[in-house]
Amino acid sequence: MSTQHEVLGLLAQLTEVPDLPQRLDLPLYETQVLDSLKTVELIVSLEEKFGIEISPAEFDREAWATPRLIVANMESRVGR
Amino acid sequence: MHVLDRIARWAAVTPDRPAHLSQGRRLTYADLRRQSDALAAHLACVLPDDRSPVAVIGHKEPEMLVGFLGAVKAGHPYVPIDTSLPEQRIQRILALANASLVLRPADIAHLSQGDAQPPDRMLAPGDPYYVIFTSGSTGEPKGVVITLGNLTSFVDWMMAEHAPVEGQEVYLNQAPFSFDLSVMDLYMSLTTGGTLFSLVRDDIANPRQLYQTLAASQATVWVSTPSFAQMCLAERRFDAARLPTVRRFLFCGETLAAEVAAQLLDRFPAAQVWNTYGPTEATVATTSVQIDRAVLARFPDLPVGYPKPGSQILITDETRQPVPPGERGEIVIVGPNVSPGYLNRPDLNARVFQPVGGQPAYRTGDRGYLQDGLLFFEGRLDHQVKLHGYRIELGDVETHLRSLAMVRDAVVVPQMKHGKVEALVAFVILAEPPTGAAFEITQQLRGQLAERVPSYMVPGKFRYLDVFPITPNGKADRRALIETLA
Repeated sequence: MSTQHEVLGLLAQLTEVPDLPQRLDLPLYETQVLDSLKTVELIVSLEEKFGIEISPAEFDREAWATPRLIVANMESRVGR
Repeated sequence: MHVLDRIARWAAVTPDRPAHLSQGRRLTYADLRRQSDALAAHLACVLPDDRSPVAVIGHKEPEMLVGFLGAVKAGHPYVPIDTSLPEQRIQRILALANASLVLRPADIAHLSQGDAQPPDRMLAPGDPYYVIFTSGSTGEPKGVVITLGNLTSFVDWMMAEHAPVEGQEVYLNQAPFSFDLSVMDLYMSLTTGGTLFSLVRDDIANPRQLYQTLAASQATVWVSTPSFAQMCLAERRFDAARLPTVRRFLFCGETLAAEVAAQLLDRFPAAQVWNTYGPTEATVATTSVQIDRAVLARFPDLPVGYPKPGSQILITDETRQPVPPGERGEIVIVGPNVSPGYLNRPDLNARVFQPVGGQPAYRTGDRGYLQDGLLFFEGRLDHQVKLHGYRIELGDVETHLRSLAMVRDAVVVPQMKHGKVEALVAFVILAEPPTGAAFEITQQLRGQLAERVPSYMVPGKFRYLDVFPITPNGKADRRALIETLA
């Protein structure tokens, strides 16, 4: 399964937006689909799923503002 | 000593020490005294000496502190209102409070210029000192009146319990001033010459900024909800190496999970962790206990503490008779920290503020039990919940949801995880068959609701149904709805 597929599946589950994979440019913070608590939850879930460390202290909200950006960020960490 | 005299003392002892730091702005004790005196002198010219509330609206600006003390020095209780509330809710609170004046930071900055003697209108112990509005089950917020005597009783206890180093502590302020958890850090700090370091919305919204701000704060006393600390713990470097000054964690507002306390003790070996409990109606907190390794080992579900000296915790049954130790029942708080009641709500006051043995008492609606003198909290007897420390009446959310044109009926239930409310879930029957995707409908409902209630009251999840499951009594079956979430 591709990184994109796994990240979007996890994000859809966490945000309870089932068709999120079709909404790659949804502004997650503006629409309040994500907030700081959910972001931390997402980080922890991604760490568990991919066996990597993501530091919330280095986390920049702007770099994670849409599903597309989150996928790109994760692909740069773990490959496609 | 009068709370205001304790604060004023620091203007003489350490005039240049910051009383408040927020977003890079600094308010010294000398500034705080001069500006609040000037504001009080102005307020005394324009307001009658009638103890009417003065609303102070803002978000953690130094002017808010000037506004609070200026109002009180002019003989008026203050109503703290955070700007995160929607305008409709703010206007309703102002109407219910019958506020004689509304002060925003720009007004306060303008009215606190120059030097002036404060008027001779010092509040007496029985006078209202502040009024904090909380969620009400009918959709109307309730104003809890806290007197100077209530506040003094709370502050005296905090001083005795925590013995802060006068003139040296830095208190972390996480909660907005409209949430009474902030009274703990604000008044512990100001009465002992400490520095109050406020986190603002932007800090909390952006993890990177949050950890930078926390590291820069040099906080020695951490005051927050357990949820906030739990969120911070997601960062592995949130520890004593990064925050070497923290020596005490004080928690209030919701259940402290043993796991959170244990992680804090691991990562901050030199710091103490304290759990406290109390509703706004009994001035922030009434019980407290230090959570150390021995307490963790003994109690999988942490106690919320021993009652403060001079106050008493009773556990009562449905007939309001005390039950034996160890038995479950309603938590009743008796003592000098109990509010005289809600503002202009004699009906409700008669139900929940009935004196016990001649002492003020408040029936909390919380369920719990006493064991070896320690209080254990087990949730609510009604439909009130705590989400990330915020107190929410589910009826408040439901009333506002049902008022939306798109909604025929709505039931809001808590989704629980590890004994804590994780999210609010709204079950909605729409007025018309849906035309778009569920996501768009949810976004519309969220947007409309956010114009009426604080953002923390907007459910995180929405489910759409054609009918609700019904109990034998013909009411919506909340239990059945909650079971669908499992």
